[in-house]
Amino acid sequence: MVNMQKKSIQELEEACLSIRKDILELATREVMHVGGDLSIADVVTVLWQFQMNYDPKDPAWEGRDRFLLSKGHASAVAAFNQAAIGCYDRKEVLETYAKDGSRFSMHTCSLINPYVEISAGSLGHGMPIACGMAAGLKLKGNKTSRVYVIMGDGEQSEGSIWEGALNASFHKLGNLVAIIDNNGLGGDAELTKSTTLGRIADKYKAFGWHVEEFDGNDVSQIVEHLDSLPAADSDTPILFVCDTVKGKGVPFMENVPKWHCGAITREQYAELEKGLDEQYRKRWNITDGE
Amino acid sequence: MENKVFLRNAVGESMLKLASENDKIVAVSADVMGSCRMADFVSKYPERSFNVGIAEQEMVSFAAGLAKEGFTAYTFTFGPFMSMRACEQIRDDVAYNRLNVRFISTYSGVSGGVSGVTHWTMEDCAIMRGIPEMTILEPCDCTQLYHMLKATVDHKGPVYFRISIEPVTEVYNGDYRFEPGKARRVADGDDGAFICSGITVKYALEAAKRIAGESGKHIRVLDMQSVKPLDEEAVVDAGRTGNVIVAQDHTVIGGLGDAVAAVLVKNKIMTDFEVKGIPNEFVVMGHAPWLYHNFGYDTEGLYEAMMKMLQGEV
Repeated sequence: MVNMQKKSIQELEEACLSIRKDILELATREVMHVGGDLSIADVVTVLWQFQMNYDPKDPAWEGRDRFLLSKGHASAVAAFNQAAIGCYDRKEVLETYAKDGSRFSMHTCSLINPYVEISAGSLGHGMPIACGMAAGLKLKGNKTSRVYVIMGDGEQSEGSIWEGALNASFHKLGNLVAIIDNNGLGGDAELTKSTTLGRIADKYKAFGWHVEEFDGNDVSQIVEHLDSLPAADSDTPILFVCDTVKGKGVPFMENVPKWHCGAITREQYAELEKGLDEQYRKRWNITDGE
Repeated sequence: MENKVFLRNAVGESMLKLASENDKIVAVSADVMGSCRMADFVSKYPERSFNVGIAEQEMVSFAAGLAKEGFTAYTFTFGPFMSMRACEQIRDDVAYNRLNVRFISTYSGVSGGVSGVTHWTMEDCAIMRGIPEMTILEPCDCTQLYHMLKATVDHKGPVYFRISIEPVTEVYNGDYRFEPGKARRVADGDDGAFICSGITVKYALEAAKRIAGESGKHIRVLDMQSVKPLDEEAVVDAGRTGNVIVAQDHTVIGGLGDAVAAVLVKNKIMTDFEVKGIPNEFVVMGHAPWLYHNFGYDTEGLYEAMMKMLQGEV
């Protein structure tokens, strides 16, 4: 078993920086779901590089935490994080993503990737599957593993999610941690133009969930909330509504609906890389030569 | 007087038996455990029973999750809700991920009778046949059902079971054992063949008996039992009789008849050929036997169709 050594906030922010650069570098090669990868990058990075019990050498290890990407189009951010902990080579992700026959597809695919618990792509499936896995863990007497499921906020319009939400509280699935990438944008436009979803937290609370809301692009807040999770064998399913910015870290993408899916040039990448590095160094007072 | 039995009762009894031998078997239902005759299972194994409420999509995804954690998950609901309401969950969550989920789909065909179209399972064979790696089984009696369930406990991947709620008569005896992908010849004959599955098997047997008595012609009855994969060898052999009638309690489009036709064409078998099934139109409800009669796949309908074919009228 590899229990991730707990990293400092600075180390995690550096990891997030690195993942953002990976995503953008990939976007110079392929049209991809760059906006939603960037919005959830910090949460996914903290999960894989700080929070989850996971052994890259044994992805079927019973004691692992389970990770389900219900918003399967954010496959790149998951793959780069898996690469970061040694599941595969980062270069393999960069070079083979969306190439014929590759294990890195635009939506996660379990057929040839053992680090993908469940294939995803169609929205509204992750939560109900996560409920079954969480119930399965309880039935097996596994009291320590958790099931983390990442959903989009646009995805909340899928009725199947609410079937799962009802069941999770009924079956007392305290080992289930659902996370919503609350970036406010769907595929076409702002969610306010297509749904009266409103404040998600209130709805889940009414369904019997324990809900926390915080800034999902703030590593400290993510760590703090993951650190304060109750024991996995508790009785109330947990939802994190993570307020995020779609396209986070790239000024011309932030909150712009058309960057749901897209690609950038090498020149744009060079510029963005420089900007992200500078931002990071400024935040941590790193001077040249350090 | 024929001895009528119900497949649904056999489902409940079989599941109890299998669960006592295998603690990885779990049951998930969308609030129809009673109708699916699983109440005793729920009483005996409460911790292995999950009622997700009237939420078929959740039922199938939930079962996928349980299967992912190493259980063999049996799901229970009426066919239309199973095959259509939860269709994408069956395809994406279960089949695509190659998980061990079983779909116990009751109300097969028009056995839902007076409940009407919403409760008829007409399209499931067409839909399930199209899902890669899906196995579709249809028992015609309780012995067969038990052995089908037993033989597939360890099958890797999904299995869809069509369960009629009309009474059936026992066709097989205790020696029957299910062989995956194999048809069973339940009546011999080389003058023609009925190719059928589920409820139509008993009607085909009666029709064949009547034809033999009246005309001396011997009609083979092939119980396909496995709609997918299909026993191509048995179909080709039946085709060589030159008179083939497929009898199915599902829509004539995309089901057993089309599967059989494709095999016959592929193997260049020249034969007279007809499919008796639910026609391509919505019709008003009625009791199942009345519907079977109207659709031409009860004893009377199959007898007449085969006699006409034998006389060269089709």
